[in-house]
Amino acid sequence: MNQKINLKEIERKAYTSYHQDGVIDITIAVVILLFSVMMLGDIYLLGSIGGVSGILAVSLYAGLKKLLTVPRIGYVKFPQQRAQRMVAIAVALGTLSALMGLVAVLQTMSQGTPEWLVFLIENYMLTIGTAVAALFLLAGYAFKTKRIYAYALLTLVLFVAGHFIYFPLYYYLTALGIILLACGLFLMIRFVSRYPKTTEAADA
Amino acid sequence: MNPSKTSDDELNAIQNIDKIIHEPARLLLMAHLFVVESADFLFLQRQSGLTWGNISSHLRKLENAGYVVVEKEFIDKKPHTTLKLTDKGRKAFKEYRKNMKQVFEDLPE
Repeated sequence: MNQKINLKEIERKAYTSYHQDGVIDITIAVVILLFSVMMLGDIYLLGSIGGVSGILAVSLYAGLKKLLTVPRIGYVKFPQQRAQRMVAIAVALGTLSALMGLVAVLQTMSQGTPEWLVFLIENYMLTIGTAVAALFLLAGYAFKTKRIYAYALLTLVLFVAGHFIYFPLYYYLTALGIILLACGLFLMIRFVSRYPKTTEAADA
Repeated sequence: MNPSKTSDDELNAIQNIDKIIHEPARLLLMAHLFVVESADFLFLQRQSGLTWGNISSHLRKLENAGYVVVEKEFIDKKPHTTLKLTDKGRKAFKEYRKNMKQVFEDLPE
């Protein structure tokens, strides 16, 4: 047994081994690819898909965890402080976005489209890229997983490239989704081979 | 400085070390349970590298000391055992860390 017991290292190891199964990557990839496919279709359909994507993501994540992770690595519940902080940040970001939307609508109604909104629309690749990267950063913080920060960087690189090299938005979203899906599948295969299902009863 | 007083303090610090926690395998289990809210046997086994029987016997001792609570529930009609540190266990672990730091504080290299 290691002579030194480092609580931070134990906590980090517990988090990372629990999130090295690729489930979070696959979940995010599926949501991105779904958006991407829907962009090819009806814009109203996209709006309705946006609403159910959250439910889909939660169901997919919970289902895969239950099917794949828990039988191999066991069940663990992490302290709630981090999750609560993340919810608070998400609510703050959501409120800020809603306020910006409201201000945009009010300004457009009274004075025509405001300059900042025109700027955001004209540079929509940068706007969307920054927003998606911010969501990745939030997820990386919530799951204590460094590779999600790398996804944030990848998103920025792709969307900045998209700002200069014109292809339809869904091309970039599809590329991002495929990369994430490939990473997720790779991690999942590695996880499954590293942690075979145990034959010993969970009831011990 | 009074040498006998220092020796008494050192002796007290060593005597205060919780012997239930001090056993390496139990210390490891306590440390793992300290950083999470709750976990099951399999998770502890994967994380600690201890065997099933080892974990079982040490957890029994920790449970008898009131440091760990074992909760049994049915998930999808299958029995499932979850373990968590009690408030007493959490306090005892913090106290153990403090005492150990105190013991080794002035140890020369």
